[in-house]
Amino acid sequence: MTTLSTSIPESRQQNWLQGAAWVLALIAAVIGVYGLYLRFTLGHAAANYGSYVPWGLWIAAYIALIGASAGAFAFAAVVFTLRKTSFYRLARLAMLLAFGAFAAGMMNVWLDLGHPFRFWKLLLQTSWTSIMGWMSWFYVVYGLILVIGLFITRNGVIPKFMERFSWISFLFAIAFAGAEGALFGVVGARALWESGLTPILFLVEAGLFGSGLVAVGALIFGCLNEKSARTMGTVMLIFLGLLLLLEWAEYTTALYASVPSKANAILTILTGPYWWVFWFIHLGLGVVLPALMLLFGRGNAWLTGLAGGLIAAMGLASKLNLVLPALAQEELDGLAHAFTGPGLTFTYFPSLMEWLVWIGSLGIGGLIVLVGFWIFNIATPTRSGVESL
Amino acid sequence: MPNAIVQKENLLLRMQEDIRRALEKPENERRWGMVIDTRKCVGCHACTISCVAENKLPPGVVYRPVLDQEIGTYPNVTRRFMPRPCLQCENPPCVPVCPVNATYTRPDGIVAIDYEQCIGCRYCITACPYSARTFDAGYTYTEDTPEQEVYELLPNYEYGVEHPRQPGTEESPIGNARKCHFCLHRLEQGQLPMCVTTCIGVANYFGDLNDPDSLVAEMAAQPNAIVLKEELGTKPKVFYLV
Repeated sequence: MTTLSTSIPESRQQNWLQGAAWVLALIAAVIGVYGLYLRFTLGHAAANYGSYVPWGLWIAAYIALIGASAGAFAFAAVVFTLRKTSFYRLARLAMLLAFGAFAAGMMNVWLDLGHPFRFWKLLLQTSWTSIMGWMSWFYVVYGLILVIGLFITRNGVIPKFMERFSWISFLFAIAFAGAEGALFGVVGARALWESGLTPILFLVEAGLFGSGLVAVGALIFGCLNEKSARTMGTVMLIFLGLLLLLEWAEYTTALYASVPSKANAILTILTGPYWWVFWFIHLGLGVVLPALMLLFGRGNAWLTGLAGGLIAAMGLASKLNLVLPALAQEELDGLAHAFTGPGLTFTYFPSLMEWLVWIGSLGIGGLIVLVGFWIFNIATPTRSGVESL
Repeated sequence: MPNAIVQKENLLLRMQEDIRRALEKPENERRWGMVIDTRKCVGCHACTISCVAENKLPPGVVYRPVLDQEIGTYPNVTRRFMPRPCLQCENPPCVPVCPVNATYTRPDGIVAIDYEQCIGCRYCITACPYSARTFDAGYTYTEDTPEQEVYELLPNYEYGVEHPRQPGTEESPIGNARKCHFCLHRLEQGQLPMCVTTCIGVANYFGDLNDPDSLVAEMAAQPNAIVLKEELGTKPKVFYLV
């Protein structure tokens, strides 16, 4: 029995894709530098989130990226646990993509802090009653696991203990992604968030965005053959189905019950000023189009990779539709007009600075992946450490 | 002297005396609370403005807006004014979510913020069911004018600590979540919160809810006293007479 992975020689197409990825990532990172300049010279006054909508694009991007990261990491953990040696190289790439998405997500949330240079208090003065406090430590552990995992597999050999104990990493990824959802699910003040389904939704989205990220990454780095494309396609279709099921359950029950605090938030998603984000971007580009591509292009690497890219990219729309409509509801009747001033509004659209920083975070995440691809020798054929015993 | 003025002064003096009595007790035996008589509120916003002046609140930060609520549909419409300070909940949802213990309940029941500890994550703002917290993004009133006015840079004395304002930096309280604290710095000097002092109709009653002889305890026990969103179990210490 061979334990060597299916090695796809990098074609000119893959080289072209990687070149394009370098160019895009560099442009995005340069744009981000200007965003960072604005962030540190103008501060939060240049942002459009405020007091009544205190979280915006950066928090939505953060949870989308962290979710995709957790999903990609879980994929790698499953591959190692099940000893699917033909996917080992893909799994290493998944770990690298997880790290890049994680870094980009962390950048978004770090810059969102009112006092970014007090972040150390999260670790040294943690409040254990806060899920955000727990998450801070989860991030440290998670980041370490990823870096150590990438480092010890850099020679293309998966150590035996890693195969044996990856199930622990898988459970950690589940806890990690679920806790991210619980961060919202426990907020009783926001009816849209406060639901037992919220952490489950985050888990499903993590699986979906993570597998999408791995699929598009695999296309760019030449790790996608017919077999892996078929497998990734099936995984994404299953998660797409689960996502639709959860959204249907959540929206229809809330709309039928018509309790204003929740029903109004859902109506904001479906029919509010940004209705097109749900119908066109989330449902059209993030669900229906990739589902069709996957159904009609079974085993096609290009279609699978592009569908994965769409799914991963449109993940932001899902998270924007979770974060913003919940906050854009008056908690007390008359609040919107009681006192006016910057940030005392229930409408929100990201400012230029917010867009630039977000683009920059994607650029930096992309550069981490592109550089990491060489540092951690992801191109090297990967085999099980058992073989060398 | 007209009767109405005598009565107003008597109420304020009585509340002042209630505070003096409460301050003689250990801190953990006090329970500061407020009762707002919506029937007396005329919606003049004097409380809002005096709060802004007292705490030197920048644009975008408000501790005590007055909600102007329309009830009914034309032509059968009435208006109701509802001032909304921080409700100083006994079970405050904002406290457990803070990841760094920057927001906490004091022994006297006031929910406070340690400005130097707050990291500005704004999780507490999302967790408050009354939108009683606002974010200080660092705005100034005169930033688009030829000259920054000196008053913008004057320090405030919230929580009894001097907080100079330094626009252009992220020095606290810029970058922090902020909220009403019943004018703690005044309270500890035996003075009523600014909103209570300036209310033209004496629609606010303030004092120690643990003192059965206090005016505020008397008013909070009225059968027409309600709290907002009682179903959430937050147990606010701000009551409304309706």
